[in-house]
Amino acid sequence: MVKQFSSVVLRSISTLVIVLILSFFITRIAYRNPAAMLAPRNATQESIDAVARALRLDDPWYLQLWYYLFRGPDIQGAPMGLMHWPPALGYSFRKQAPVTDLILAKAPVTLSLAIGALVIWMTIAIFSGVAAARWQGRLIDHVLAFFAYVGLSVPTFLSGILISYFLFFQLSNQGIHWFPSSGYVPLSEDPLQWARHLALPWATLAIAEIGLFQRMVRASMLDVLGHDFIRTARAKGVPEGRVYFSHALKSALNPILTLGGLELAAIMGGAIVTETIFGLDGVGRMAIAAALEGDFPVVIGTTIFAASAFITTTLAVDLVAQWRDPANRN
Amino acid sequence: MADTIHSPVALIVPRASPSPGILLLKRLWRERAVRTGAVIVGIVLLAALSAPVVSHLLGHGPMEQFEGTALDEMGLPIGPTLEFPLGADGNGRDVLVRTLYGAQVSLLVGVPATTIAMIIGTAIGLVSGFFAGRTDRIISQAIDVALSFPFVVTALSLLALNRGGTGQPIVPPMVVVITIIALFSWAYFARLARGLVLELRTSPMVEASRTIGASWARIIWFDILPNILPTVFVYWAVQLPANIVAEATLSFLGVGIQAPMPSWGNMIAEAQRTSLYQEQPWFLAGPGLALFLTVVGFNTLSAGLRNVLDPNRRRA
Repeated sequence: MVKQFSSVVLRSISTLVIVLILSFFITRIAYRNPAAMLAPRNATQESIDAVARALRLDDPWYLQLWYYLFRGPDIQGAPMGLMHWPPALGYSFRKQAPVTDLILAKAPVTLSLAIGALVIWMTIAIFSGVAAARWQGRLIDHVLAFFAYVGLSVPTFLSGILISYFLFFQLSNQGIHWFPSSGYVPLSEDPLQWARHLALPWATLAIAEIGLFQRMVRASMLDVLGHDFIRTARAKGVPEGRVYFSHALKSALNPILTLGGLELAAIMGGAIVTETIFGLDGVGRMAIAAALEGDFPVVIGTTIFAASAFITTTLAVDLVAQWRDPANRN
Repeated sequence: MADTIHSPVALIVPRASPSPGILLLKRLWRERAVRTGAVIVGIVLLAALSAPVVSHLLGHGPMEQFEGTALDEMGLPIGPTLEFPLGADGNGRDVLVRTLYGAQVSLLVGVPATTIAMIIGTAIGLVSGFFAGRTDRIISQAIDVALSFPFVVTALSLLALNRGGTGQPIVPPMVVVITIIALFSWAYFARLARGLVLELRTSPMVEASRTIGASWARIIWFDILPNILPTVFVYWAVQLPANIVAEATLSFLGVGIQAPMPSWGNMIAEAQRTSLYQEQPWFLAGPGLALFLTVVGFNTLSAGLRNVLDPNRRRA
C-alpha cells in the first residue's frame, strides 16, 4: 500500500515540476523586457540596463530557471522563486505588487464559491441520483433524467444570465430583494449576508454539475444494487434507507469522489464565467481582467496556481480512493 | 409459347444483401436518441447553411448596422418585426441573421478543433498503448500535464500572448481559438485510445498477427485501428458539443471570436453587458436558444451512438 501511495505521489510531483517548468517558458515569451516595465517611465537606457542587471536578466536561461524555481533577486522587496511559503508566482508590473499577494487576497471569494457549490450540488445530486435509481424506470426517474439533461446542456454563462435575470432582476422588479445582484461579504463578517451574496452563483455552478453527478450516482448505484451483499443486507433486515445510503452508496462513491475532485479543482482555478456574471471579485475575474489588459504575470501566476490546485486535488482524491479500497485494508 | 414464360424463380432471387453501412445506419436509426439527435443536428446544419440565403432575402448582412430602421428614437433596438424577425441588437444589427451566421462560426471552430484533437490524440494514444514501457510512461506523463492546465485561464494566457506589441492579434483569432481548443482536448482522445489499445495489444487477434510475422505498422493499421475507431468516432461526437461551448465561453469572455464577427458567445456577452435583453429578450434568446439546441442535439446524438456502438457501455 505504501508502495502504491508513493508511486501516486511521485507521479503527481513530477507532473507538477513539468507544469512549473513549462510555465517558466511561457513566462519567458510573455514578459517582454520586464526591466523596461519596472523602470520609471522616462528612464534612460542605462537605468533600464541597471534594473536588468539587478534582476539578473542577462544570465543564461538555465540560471534564470534556477532563480524562477528556487531563489531569484527580489523585485521591489518581494522575494522571487517558487520554493517559498507562499510560493512567489511572479510580480505584476501593472499593479506593482507580487502576484501571490494578489491571488491570496482574492482566494477566499473563489474558495467560498467552490466549496459552497460543491456542498449544494453533491447533496442534491446524491439524493436525486439515489431516488432515480430506487424508482428506476418510473415517472420520477424520467423527470429527474430530463432535468439532469437540460442542466448538462446549458452552458454556465447562459444559466448564469438567466438566473440573474429571473431571480434578481424580475424579483426586484416585484419588490422582492432576496438576492443582491453582485458583490461579496466575507464569511467572518456576516455569515447570512455571505450566503445571500453567494446563493445565485452557487446555483449557477451547481446546475450543470447536478446534471452530471445525478446521472453518475444513478449509474453506479444501479451497478452496485445488483450485488450479493445488498441482497444479504436486505435479507438480514436492514431498513431500506440504510441499504441505499449506507451499504450501496458507500461502494458506489469512488467514481463520484474522483470526478468531484476534478470539478472542484477546475472551479478553484477560477470559476471565471460565474465570477464575471455575478461581479464576484475572485481569482478568475482577476485573471480575465489581467488577460484583457495584457498583465501577463498575473495570468501566468493564476495558471500556475490553478494547475497546482488541480494536481493537489487529483492527488488527494487518488489517495482517498486507495485508502477506501477494501483490497488495501491492513 | 412455353419459351416466353419467365421462370418465377427469377422473381424471388434475393437482392444483393444490404451493405454493412446500410445495416449500421438501420441499427442506429432504430435508437430513439439517435433519431432525435440527428433531427436537431440537421436543423442546426440547415440553419448554418441557410445563413447567406436568409441574409440575402432580408437584405441584412451579419455585420451591417441599421441605425435608421432598427433603433427607435431613444436609440433602443426594436423588437421582432417583419423586417427583423428576431429584432435587432444595440448596434441595430439583425439578430436572426447574426444567430444563423453564429451557427457557421460555432461549427467552423468546433468541428476542425475536435477533428484535429481526435487525429493527434488517437495517434499519440496508439503509440503510447502499443509501445508500452518507457514510451508509455513519458506519454502518460505528458497527458497528465496537459490535463492539469486549467482550460480558461491557460487559454487566456495563450490568447494574451497572441496580442502583439501594438494590441493587434498576430494570428487570426479563429485559428488561435481552434488551436487552443484542440490543444486542450487531444489528451482526452489520447487517454481513451491508450486504454483501448492496452486491452487489444494482448488479444489473440494481435498475437496471431505477430505469429505470422506482421510488422507493427501492419498490426496497428489492420488489427488495432479498425477496432478502436468506432469508439473514437463516438467520443468525437461527445467532445464536439463541449468544444462548441468552449468556443462560446471564450467569445463570451471577450477573448475568442471578436465582435463584429458574430459568435453566439459574443452575442450573449453583448446582451448581458448592455442589459438590453431586459428590454428586448430575443436579443438574448436568439443566440442562447441556438447554443442550447446545438448542445442538446449533439449530446443526444452522441448518447444514442454510444448506446448502439459501444458494447462495453450498456445502458444503465
